[in-house]
Amino acid sequence: MFAYLLLLPAGALILVLVGVPFLNALWLSFHKKLLGAVDAPWIGLANYAALLGDAAFWQAFRNTVVFTTGSIGSKLILGLVIALVLNEALPFRGLWRSIVMLPYAMPTLVSVLVWKWMYNDVAGVLNYLVSGAHLSDHQILWLGDPNIAMPAVIAVNVWRGFPFFVITILAGLQTVPQELYDAAKVDGAGVWQRFRQVTWPSILPVVAVTTLFSAILTFNDFSIIWILTQCGPGNATNVLATLTYKIAIPGLELGKGVAVSVLMLPILVLLIVLLNRFISRREEFA
Amino acid sequence: MSAASALTSRRQHAAVDRRRSFVQRGQRLALRAFGCLLLGFVLLVALFPPYFMTITAFHPPSLSFSRTPTLFSLDLTLRAFVDLFEKYPFASWMANTAVVSVCSTILSVTVATLAAYSLSRLRYPGRNALSSAVFFVYLFPSTLLFIPIFIVLNNLHLLNQLPALVAVYLTFSVPFGVWLLKAYFLSIPRELEDAAQVDGATRWQSLVLIVLPLATPGVAVACIYSFTLAWNEYLYAFTLLSDQEKFTLATGLTKLIFGDVFLWGMIMAGGVLMSAPLLILYFLAQRYIVAGLSAGAVKG
Repeated sequence: MFAYLLLLPAGALILVLVGVPFLNALWLSFHKKLLGAVDAPWIGLANYAALLGDAAFWQAFRNTVVFTTGSIGSKLILGLVIALVLNEALPFRGLWRSIVMLPYAMPTLVSVLVWKWMYNDVAGVLNYLVSGAHLSDHQILWLGDPNIAMPAVIAVNVWRGFPFFVITILAGLQTVPQELYDAAKVDGAGVWQRFRQVTWPSILPVVAVTTLFSAILTFNDFSIIWILTQCGPGNATNVLATLTYKIAIPGLELGKGVAVSVLMLPILVLLIVLLNRFISRREEFA
Repeated sequence: MSAASALTSRRQHAAVDRRRSFVQRGQRLALRAFGCLLLGFVLLVALFPPYFMTITAFHPPSLSFSRTPTLFSLDLTLRAFVDLFEKYPFASWMANTAVVSVCSTILSVTVATLAAYSLSRLRYPGRNALSSAVFFVYLFPSTLLFIPIFIVLNNLHLLNQLPALVAVYLTFSVPFGVWLLKAYFLSIPRELEDAAQVDGATRWQSLVLIVLPLATPGVAVACIYSFTLAWNEYLYAFTLLSDQEKFTLATGLTKLIFGDVFLWGMIMAGGVLMSAPLLILYFLAQRYIVAGLSAGAVKG
């Protein structure tokens, strides 16, 4: 009885604030609900059918895959390498670690604004540095060129998110017993073999959890793309999260906008279930 | 095998070993050098944007309109900061953000502590299913919820109301807090509580007198994260607030870039003011935060 009583406030809040809107979202996706309109006629699967037949939806889908995998892949590699370096006995290691944390500690929104300023094609500092190093003789439209905008947006996500990988992987590395390394050394294992046979299997659970976590958040990311490019140029950086917003609020089609995010759910649920399984397995060992 | 040939073979082995360890040492050195160079580069890349933000904020506005950006200058001024407060309701934005973040933190951590204690310490049917459900809700995307929430608040005429925004922020901070604190409570030895109960303490007393004092670092991390999430939140604030006086820092600052003129000096000054409290918080509590991150419990 006491147990349920303690759960009550949190449970009631979650039910009212998340459960109800969620059911409401499902309901909306089957209705033609326009912003400002009073009635919302039932239209069955028409919202979904319209989306699945729309090239813009599939473009946003492809962009989401590119944005998520590109960001996650880069964050993972960069995070892993930097964690391995910081795990060595370096002078001032604590200071380096604090500096690496800096992008993570800054508010995302502020980081995005600073990058937008640095990417500015007329007065931006990146073009100034690039031309100063004679890497390019013309202005680069970082956020205005359809081929460069996506990598530029990914770079901001990576800059902001790689410290999370560094910190978690570093914590994982510190739990690897030194004896395992010593034993591998006695057996004549080289640097690569030690990494392959000792380090990697030991940190794999941490890497899996971190990667899945970050994948879920990147998959849903709205603010980085919205503020940097507003989905442009054209729709070159439009992802599903921004498509939802564009259809629902400026486009006034609330029902169809919700349908976009409902279509994102299967992938998201799959990622969450995987993550939940990894974490509960780790808790059993702990 | 004769004694002589055994000796030569041993010598050969020794030579091979020596050569191998020489090659390995070479590899190690090369790797180390590469690692240090890479680390140096990454540190520069991590430091540059905050540095550039700060100098842009303190430069006279004329410099941020020039074609060649200024990387360093001693021509410093508070002009951009003063403009920000005089031309925009920046003080209100800061106050709004602080009030919303503090209120949602206090509410969510209180509620989450009770639920987390129940989920980690008491045994009853459905406990594991509830834990999984909390985890699910915690990762539930705001992109799915903002539209129905927008419609409901619009119907109730609660758009542009900060208390409504606090309530909306509980959608992510409550499940997040429950999840983080549950992991933390599990790490506190159960025997301490059992002992207290043998001595006649009630469940409630053992929560308040035994578990909570031990869980202080965990509660602190939950507060820091809950505060940070609210301080940084953009999508809900962006869709639910349209009255300039009611803006949070996140929506106020972005409003400045979507205007006709880019006011980079002012935007960067606002960025400095928005980052400062979080950076101070992070560097004071870095040890706890690293521990919290390592628990894999962080949405950021």
